Amino acid sequence: MAANADIFEYKEPWGGPFGLSVALHVALFGGMLLYGALHGTGESWGGTGGGGGDAMSARLVSTIPLPAKQGENVLATESKGLTQSKPKEVIEEAEAIPIPDKATKKKQKETPAAKEKPREVAEAVDNEIPFGEGGPVSGPYGVFNTAGAKGGFGFTGGGGDFGSRYSWYVDTVRRKVSENWLKYEIDPGISSAQRVYIYFEIARNGQPKSIRVEQSSGIPSLDQSAMRALQRIDTFGPLPNDYNGSNVAVEFWFDYKR
Amino acid sequence: MRKTLLLIGIALLSSTLLAQQDWIRTGTGLGVEKIRLAVPEFKAASTDPQTGALLKTFNAVLWNDLESAGIFEMVSKSFYPLQVPGAPNDFKPEAWGNPPPDAAMVAFGNLAVGNGRLAVQGWLFDAKNPQAAQVLGKQYNEAATDDNARVIAHRFANEIIFRLGGGIMGITESKIFFVSARSGNKEIWSMDYDGANQKQVTNLRSISLSPRISPDSSRIAFSSFAQGGPNIAMWSLELNRAVTFPRFGGTNLSPAWSADGTKLAFSSSRNGDPEIYISDANGSNLRRMTSYRGPDVSPVWNPKTGAQLAWVSGRSGLPQIWVADADGANPTRLTDQGYAVSPAWSPNGQFLAFAWIRKYGPGAPGASDIYIMDVASRQWVQLTHDGGRNDFPSWSPDGRHIVFQSTRSGSEQVWTMLADGSQQKQVTTSGRNSQPNWSWK
Repeated sequence: MAANADIFEYKEPWGGPFGLSVALHVALFGGMLLYGALHGTGESWGGTGGGGGDAMSARLVSTIPLPAKQGENVLATESKGLTQSKPKEVIEEAEAIPIPDKATKKKQKETPAAKEKPREVAEAVDNEIPFGEGGPVSGPYGVFNTAGAKGGFGFTGGGGDFGSRYSWYVDTVRRKVSENWLKYEIDPGISSAQRVYIYFEIARNGQPKSIRVEQSSGIPSLDQSAMRALQRIDTFGPLPNDYNGSNVAVEFWFDYKR
Repeated sequence: MRKTLLLIGIALLSSTLLAQQDWIRTGTGLGVEKIRLAVPEFKAASTDPQTGALLKTFNAVLWNDLESAGIFEMVSKSFYPLQVPGAPNDFKPEAWGNPPPDAAMVAFGNLAVGNGRLAVQGWLFDAKNPQAAQVLGKQYNEAATDDNARVIAHRFANEIIFRLGGGIMGITESKIFFVSARSGNKEIWSMDYDGANQKQVTNLRSISLSPRISPDSSRIAFSSFAQGGPNIAMWSLELNRAVTFPRFGGTNLSPAWSADGTKLAFSSSRNGDPEIYISDANGSNLRRMTSYRGPDVSPVWNPKTGAQLAWVSGRSGLPQIWVADADGANPTRLTDQGYAVSPAWSPNGQFLAFAWIRKYGPGAPGASDIYIMDVASRQWVQLTHDGGRNDFPSWSPDGRHIVFQSTRSGSEQVWTMLADGSQQKQVTTSGRNSQPNWSWK
């Protein structure tokens, strides 16, 4: 019984503070309304100078400080989307600047200078004759075509002549990747996409390893289907016997168009 | 004819299935684009009287092996230059790499017989890359017999397939085990993948069914009526006799090896209803995997993961293909209609091949044909269309071929085909032959 009495006594004290709180809130909102009435010009939210719209575009740009990066990353040149002219607007907006810095730093770290070669490759690729249509693999690079999709790659290992010395092996890699790329894994709603770049290495025994998306297409299902194409492959076959290196690095790109 | 049938079949499918034809071919390692390969006849490098006969065998086997591999487009011999190389010095890349032969690769060499020995030198050259043309160079030396000429041709073909096929061994040295009644009883027989060297394995003078070779090729598990049963029996290829295996009572059928060779799955009616049981390879540690009303038979392991089994279940009426985890959890039905039996899981774990009568019942003129289904997406493709009853598919170790049984030639015979349905060939002719099973390597 004594306990009950305690509880009742305990409840009573917060009635006062509650009343005080209500009074304070009323005063606060009242003050705000009053301020609005005195200083408000009737502009709507974000209405000043259409600033809302600008702010939006500025943000987008800030995430694409890529233009600077593109100079170094060969890969980036391939994708039209990354070279949009919008980014410049960002610079005008002071707020957006800090974020771009972060982004650019990261990107620079990820892309070693060594990858400049692939760029040339990718451009040259378009002119090459695909395997089986009469043309040899003329360099360390190649392309493949399958219904509605296209892929290509560059070998960056073994002193640079791996592709020309072992073009048959390069062909094998190209064939095997294209065979294992199952396009039904890609979101059927996608009709076309930016190029996705996959990096991987081939160990001496032919196993692909260190598979990663080097540059995303922005469409997760496409990125994943490209990754899975490589993960599905147990081996490309051992590297040629007379090849001295311990592994070969390969950069593979996928273009998708339905 | 087959192609037109295929096209008609494809046209009947929905547009989503249209895309499937494309990837089914690729998923099985059968690229849409094949390597143009020229294989001029090997040159005789000796005058020994045996040379001619052995050379003929060698050339025929090598050509057949490479043509059957499924990854080459063989350049017709009528396009070859008159000067055929027998050694690297004679090889002229421009003569082979340009039209008319327009070959990407050329396999050539020479064969000599002397002092009872057969010596073969073989090369594989890249005709489109004159600067670094040699891909492969091999020498073989064996006793001069017709069998060895075949063996050497098989090995050289395997090397070429291994190099150009992306590290997947060819099947030229694999074996097919099957049931044949040609001796008067249904016994287990074996043969090379191309039908050569057919030999009787068991001699139990009873009925032996559903042979399954172990992954290490040392034993054959099968169903035997030798002592009542049928029971699961085990034949040792090393001892060349049956070895003991426990008898569980009831009807025990269709054993299946796990890929690591440590477990067997089979169906047993020891407790009434046929259910799937799993035991260790010696028959111990028996445990039940399924427990539903209706028959559950013909289990097969996912050879890639060893964590799943597919089997035939009659729990929903007509037999259908089901898949579940090895402990029986997550049973899932894969086929949605008709009468589906005899599942076989592809070596890469991606596909199930099975026999299916899609339209089953009165008034439905359904034929039993071989289909393959992508397990993940459930999309399927029909592989046989040529009539007869087609059943008991089994995958080759490279996942590019399927062996099956068909009655299209009038009686039950063993046939092989590429996993896209092309290159169908009858490989047995004598007696009735059925239930083929392809070795693991």
